[in-house]
Amino acid sequence: MKKIHVRVFRFDPESDEKPHYQNYVVDVNEGARVLHALQAIHDDIDPTLSFRSCCRAGQCGSCAVRVNGVPGLACMEEAIDGMTVEPLDLPVKKDLVVDLFTFLETLPRIQPCGEPIVPDREKAELIKPLRSCIECFCCISVCPAMDVTQFDGPAAMRQELRLELDPRDRKDRVTEAVSHGLFACTSCQACWKVCPKGIEIPGKAIEKLRALANKKGLTLPRHLEVAQLVRETGRSIVRTGSTFLEDSPDTIEPNGPAKATVGFFVGCMYNGRLPATARDAMEVLKRNGIRVVIPKEQVCCGSPLIRTGQTGFVDTLKKRNIDAFVSRNLDTVLTMCAGCGSTLKRDYKTPFRVMDINEVLTKFGIEPPARLPVKVTYHDPCHLLRGQGIRDEPRELITQVADLVEMPSVCCGSGGGVRSGMPEVAAALAENRKKEIERTGADIVVSSCPFCEFHIMEHTDRPVRNITSLILDGYREKDRKKAMVS
Amino acid sequence: MRSAEVLDCHVLVIGSGGAGVRAAIEASGFGETVLVSKTIAGKGGCTPMAEGGYNAVLREQDSCETHYEDTMKGGAYLNEPGLVSILVAEAPQRVTDLLAWGAVFDVTDSCTVAQRPFGGQSFPRTCYAGDRTGHEIMMTLIERLASTGVEVFSEVTALDLVRGNDRVIGALCLDGKGKIVAIRSDATVLATGGGTQIFDISTNSSSGTGDGFAIGYRAGAELIDMEMVQFHPTGAVYPYDARGRLITEAVRGEGGVLRNAAGERFMAKYDPDRMELSTRDVVSRAIATEIQEGRGTPHGGVYLDVTHLPRQQVEERLPVMLEQFLKFGLDIREEPMEVAPTAHHVMGGLRITPGAGTTVPGLFACGEVAGGVHGANRLGGNALADTQVFGKRAGESAGKSPRRSSRIERGAIDAQEERLAAFLDGDVPPSIVTRSLKTAMWEGAGIFRTEKDLKKTLNVITHLSSLRLLARTEENLTECCTTQNMLLSASLVVRGALLRKESRGAHMRKDVVQTWDARNSPYGHTYQSLERCGIETVVRA
Repeated sequence: MKKIHVRVFRFDPESDEKPHYQNYVVDVNEGARVLHALQAIHDDIDPTLSFRSCCRAGQCGSCAVRVNGVPGLACMEEAIDGMTVEPLDLPVKKDLVVDLFTFLETLPRIQPCGEPIVPDREKAELIKPLRSCIECFCCISVCPAMDVTQFDGPAAMRQELRLELDPRDRKDRVTEAVSHGLFACTSCQACWKVCPKGIEIPGKAIEKLRALANKKGLTLPRHLEVAQLVRETGRSIVRTGSTFLEDSPDTIEPNGPAKATVGFFVGCMYNGRLPATARDAMEVLKRNGIRVVIPKEQVCCGSPLIRTGQTGFVDTLKKRNIDAFVSRNLDTVLTMCAGCGSTLKRDYKTPFRVMDINEVLTKFGIEPPARLPVKVTYHDPCHLLRGQGIRDEPRELITQVADLVEMPSVCCGSGGGVRSGMPEVAAALAENRKKEIERTGADIVVSSCPFCEFHIMEHTDRPVRNITSLILDGYREKDRKKAMVS
Repeated sequence: MRSAEVLDCHVLVIGSGGAGVRAAIEASGFGETVLVSKTIAGKGGCTPMAEGGYNAVLREQDSCETHYEDTMKGGAYLNEPGLVSILVAEAPQRVTDLLAWGAVFDVTDSCTVAQRPFGGQSFPRTCYAGDRTGHEIMMTLIERLASTGVEVFSEVTALDLVRGNDRVIGALCLDGKGKIVAIRSDATVLATGGGTQIFDISTNSSSGTGDGFAIGYRAGAELIDMEMVQFHPTGAVYPYDARGRLITEAVRGEGGVLRNAAGERFMAKYDPDRMELSTRDVVSRAIATEIQEGRGTPHGGVYLDVTHLPRQQVEERLPVMLEQFLKFGLDIREEPMEVAPTAHHVMGGLRITPGAGTTVPGLFACGEVAGGVHGANRLGGNALADTQVFGKRAGESAGKSPRRSSRIERGAIDAQEERLAAFLDGDVPPSIVTRSLKTAMWEGAGIFRTEKDLKKTLNVITHLSSLRLLARTEENLTECCTTQNMLLSASLVVRGALLRKESRGAHMRKDVVQTWDARNSPYGHTYQSLERCGIETVVRA
């Protein structure tokens, strides 16, 4: 037996004005799960604590709670000393018990034709992963879009595709999904990262439904325009001035000996909208011994098409991009756009390794910059944090330059075609970000994705800096001080 | 005085596992149907946890006769033959129902439902959906239920049945806030599942507390073979708080071997022909013996090892096991699991007719709460089939019951309110009582039984039953009622075990020397009701 400290959310809407937290010290056995700790509190200390549980084996989805802010099944997550246990971010009935029924009722249910048809193997294999959902609603707890618009959410979208694939269902589920908010999903990936069954809802359900919607002519007009632009120009944004690629040399040699050579995949946003930021990144790489090769024939990665279900032209883009780097014998391709990086890593099969700039800089190490007298907060780009699993690297870099104040990692609203297709949803999400930013009291917002940077800039009065620009600021300060001394 | 809500319906179904939901779906075709579930409907019970599969004769090479014979043999010939005939004959039709409603089973290349071999069966007749077959069936049923007019009350606990003019005329239930809900019905279906939570080590969900056994018994129904509790050979032993969690039989089916702490493949001593794939009762007793005699592992189990199998085989055929153990810090591709027997299934239950009628008019029972289908030992894959076959029958019989003009009298509600009020004035928290009960049952009424230990256990139960349970809040009232149900169910198991002075199937009496095998046993069912108890004797020619 061991003693652990547990902080538990308590709230009875019938008698309490507002929620409070209660601290318990409880005896549990080695290897105990969160559920066992809650059970021990209930049995040995405080029988008034309410929580749900049933199968105790991760199979019924009754006991989902947030442990240190992250949703998961209480029966499967290990109980750790000092943990905080809270209900899912859904209406609370009492303590850790939330209203699941409202969401259970919105899940679409099959309307079978009545024939005992056995779906063929191919269909069955497609349906099966979607079918393993245990309706615990961890996904709904973290979905940012559901907070700001009419969207039935990840669990319902998963079910819409499951039904659409089933030959026995009689309804048009694609049209239904569109009317229930299919295009509101920002592909932030929060849902599947917390899914106890690992169902990849954005990629394996939402994007598939959007592709089916495309076949039915239900793609949003603005998304059609973007696709047309990509087909005509190879780029997802309209040219408004000279681009990064037009102004760059073919190769940027580092100061001093090269630690590594990488190909640079710039992406449409840094190429056409924020080329100065990309040039900042090149300066930082140059200063830190990275030789950068820049193939000029590279095009859009295809992400804006894949996320919106317009996949027809994507193979052409993939081939052109892969050929551009392969022809230069590059074994590593660097991205600085989180969206492009995630797409190259997850949607492509590349013969070369793809690394985000945060990974490259931390792997090879950077020359220490001067510390800047500013407080910054960091906005995790969804496609970096969840798309590529990169969390610590940017923080390691930022804290070398400035003091970092954390804020919760939530989508800013710019992804998944939502900024172009449903601007009011994107704006509402950014307004939520704005509040979080203000709460930190930071002077500067730092991020590492052109979509996030561009979108957040429109919704905050604080300066928004790319992580490499911030490092470069540190180098300039360092150089300035050095010049003053000499 | 508690406020009581009174509802009226044609059929009341209690329980939301595979049997209850199947019954409600069927009953809804005959009239207004209400389903009450102490959990969120569809999340409780053991159906969503069932991994292995569903036995049904679907191929020309197979036959209902062999399924019948396998089931009887596996059940040590204690099964009710008429019920087994129905089970094997109708299991395939119920698969067809599930397919029509959207179930996604694994399929063969020729687009038929795939089947795999399972213990004790002479043909591979177990249909499956990966290793989440029960979940697949439950999701299908819940979707179907949503398209019927059945009114579902989730998180409402049945307290007791109400009798009027020698019939069951409904039930009194308790909602989460401590309010009584009285439901009058023309017919009532008990589908509350099993109750191996009365043992310290159990595979059951926390809802498996034997409520239906207790509720049925108190309403005057007769129960049979309550001593027949299946101990699954392979339950987890670590982490300690998750002990008993089921390690599927498929692990051994895929080639997993059992070893004791000395590294011996000990099954060679107990069943050299079938080794690890012997029947569940034999393997459970073998493992228990190894542990008792000091050849157990540090965590008190034996080793179950798949490290010699190709990694890919483990990853593809046992993905849930792999995932669960990884979550608990063990890679089963690299290290052996530690396992020990765990209480799994109650074969006994309410005595039913082929139409799922109990011995009390107006009351029907189906699924694990009913007895007789599985005899003294259940075959893997027969429980899911049982839920569907007898769920449908119970729903249909209840639906066809004549409409009546009964009324739940105020007196019945008053009596229940008195029972509840006493809890608010009690002394002992229910958790203390259930903990003592579980330990006593595991030690005295587990895999090996003697009259002496059973009587000692009964004394413990009697003592625990005399304590005044305490509810600190209205929400704790349900726990007090559940604890009482556990105590009553446990006493039925122990009394049944005392009545049966033979070893048969899962019931092992170490203190009885017998000269007969199961087929030639002089005994039939044990039976227990408010009015009588005993054991049937069989006159053989």
